[in-house]
Amino acid sequence: MRTRLGLAFGAIAALAVIAAAPAAAQTTNGIQVTVDQPRITAVIGDRITIRAHVTNSGSTASDPLIAHLNVASLTGTYVDLEDWTAAPTQHVNPLDAHATTALSWDIQAVNAGRFDVYVVMLPNGPTSSGIGPAVASSPVEVTVAGKRTLNAGGSLPVVIAVPLLLGGAALGARLRLRRR
Amino acid sequence: MTTLVNGEIDKTATGRPQSRGQGDWAAVAGQESRDLWLSGRGPLLLFAFSVLLSVFTYLAATNRAINFLEQREAVDQTLQIAVAVGVLVTLLVSADAISGERERGTLEGLLLTPVSRRAIVLGKLIAALTLWFATFVVSIPYIWVLGRGVSIVRSALLLGLGVGTLLAVGLAALGLLISALSGSNKVSLAISFFLLLAVFAPSQLPGGLPKGWFGDVLGKINPVGSGLHYSTAVLVNGHGWTRDLEYLISPLVLAVLAGGGLLILSERIVRLNPGGER
Repeated sequence: MRTRLGLAFGAIAALAVIAAAPAAAQTTNGIQVTVDQPRITAVIGDRITIRAHVTNSGSTASDPLIAHLNVASLTGTYVDLEDWTAAPTQHVNPLDAHATTALSWDIQAVNAGRFDVYVVMLPNGPTSSGIGPAVASSPVEVTVAGKRTLNAGGSLPVVIAVPLLLGGAALGARLRLRRR
Repeated sequence: MTTLVNGEIDKTATGRPQSRGQGDWAAVAGQESRDLWLSGRGPLLLFAFSVLLSVFTYLAATNRAINFLEQREAVDQTLQIAVAVGVLVTLLVSADAISGERERGTLEGLLLTPVSRRAIVLGKLIAALTLWFATFVVSIPYIWVLGRGVSIVRSALLLGLGVGTLLAVGLAALGLLISALSGSNKVSLAISFFLLLAVFAPSQLPGGLPKGWFGDVLGKINPVGSGLHYSTAVLVNGHGWTRDLEYLISPLVLAVLAGGGLLILSERIVRLNPGGER
C-alpha cells in the first residue's frame, strides 16, 4: 500500500514539476532556447521581429550552435521560408556555462493565416555536428491578417489625369511651334 | 549668332555686346530652359515620364503580385523609378547640350557672346536640372496616391528631392563633361546612356549585389545604387535619417567632382572642335 501511495505521490510530483516548467523553454544537453513573445498579430506585408534567448544551463561550455528559424502554417497555407526571411539560419559561438545570448530575426509576414514560428538549436561541434540533439523553442503564434494595400479605384484619377494634362501641354507646345 | 542682350541670349543678333555681368549664367539658363520647354522637347519627355509612372502605379494598385508589396515598398519602388528615369532624362539632355549645339552649328554663336564659358556650362547645367525638377513635380501625385494612409508621403518626397537632386546634379555635370569632350553628339549620347546602364545594372542583378565586402564596396561606390539604397533604408526599413548617411557619400562626391571639374575645365573644354583650337 505504501509503495502504491509512494508511486502515486511520485507521479503527481513529476507531473507538478513538468507543469511548473516554463512553457517557452525546452532543455537538452544544457542548451535552452526561449522566445520573447507567445503571440504576435500582424497585417500581411508587415515586418516583425522574432527575439530569442539561448542559454547554456550546463556546467561546461557548449559546442558551436546553429539557430534556425522555421515557420509552420496552422491553416494549411503553403509556406516558403525564403519569402519570410532571407536568412533563417544563424551561427552561434560556443556558449560558456550559464551564459546567455540573444538572437533576433526580422521576418516579413508574406502570407495571411495563422502560423507557428519557432527556433531550433542544433549543435555544430566536431563531434556533435549532424548528430544533435535538436532543441526547439516554444512557438510564437503569428496571426497575419490579409489586406489589399492599394486601391485601384483611388489611383485611377491620377493615373489618367496626369498623362492627359501633360500630353495636352506637349501637344500645345508642338502646335504653337508649327504655327510660328 | 547668339548674343546677350538685356540679360537674354539673342541668337539673331550680329553685334557683340560688352555685357559681362555676374548674372550671365542666369541669362544662359533662362535661354536654355526656354529652348528646352518651348521647343516641345521638355513637355514630350515629361509626358512620356508620366505615362511610365501611370503604368507602374496602376499595376501596383491592381496586380496581385505587385499589390502584395507592403505599401511602403510600393512607394519606394515608385520613387526609385521616378528618380531613376528623372535622372536618366536629365543626363541625356545634358549630354546633348554642347555636342548637340556643336553639330547644329549654334555653338559658335554662343561662344561669341560676351559670356564666359563657365557661365555657359553653368546655365546649361541649370537648364538640364529644370527637367529633373519637373519630373519630380510630376511624380508627386503618384507618390501621394500610393503612400497616403501610411504617413510616408512627406518623407518619400523629401528623400526623392534630396537624393534625386544630388544624383541629377552629379550626372548632369558628368553628361556636360562628356558632351564637351565628345567628338560627336552620337558618341556623347551613347557614352552617357551606357554610363547610366552601368550604374543601374548592379541593382537589377537577381538577388541584388553580391554579399560580402566586395559587394558592399561596389554598392557604396555606385552613386545611383547607394543613393537609392539610402532612400529604401529610410522608407522601407525604417532606419533613421542619419543612420545610413555613408550611402550618400558617393552621390555627393560625384556631384562635387563632376560639378567642380566641369566649372574648372569649362574654359578649356567648351570649344568648337573638341581637343582642337578654341
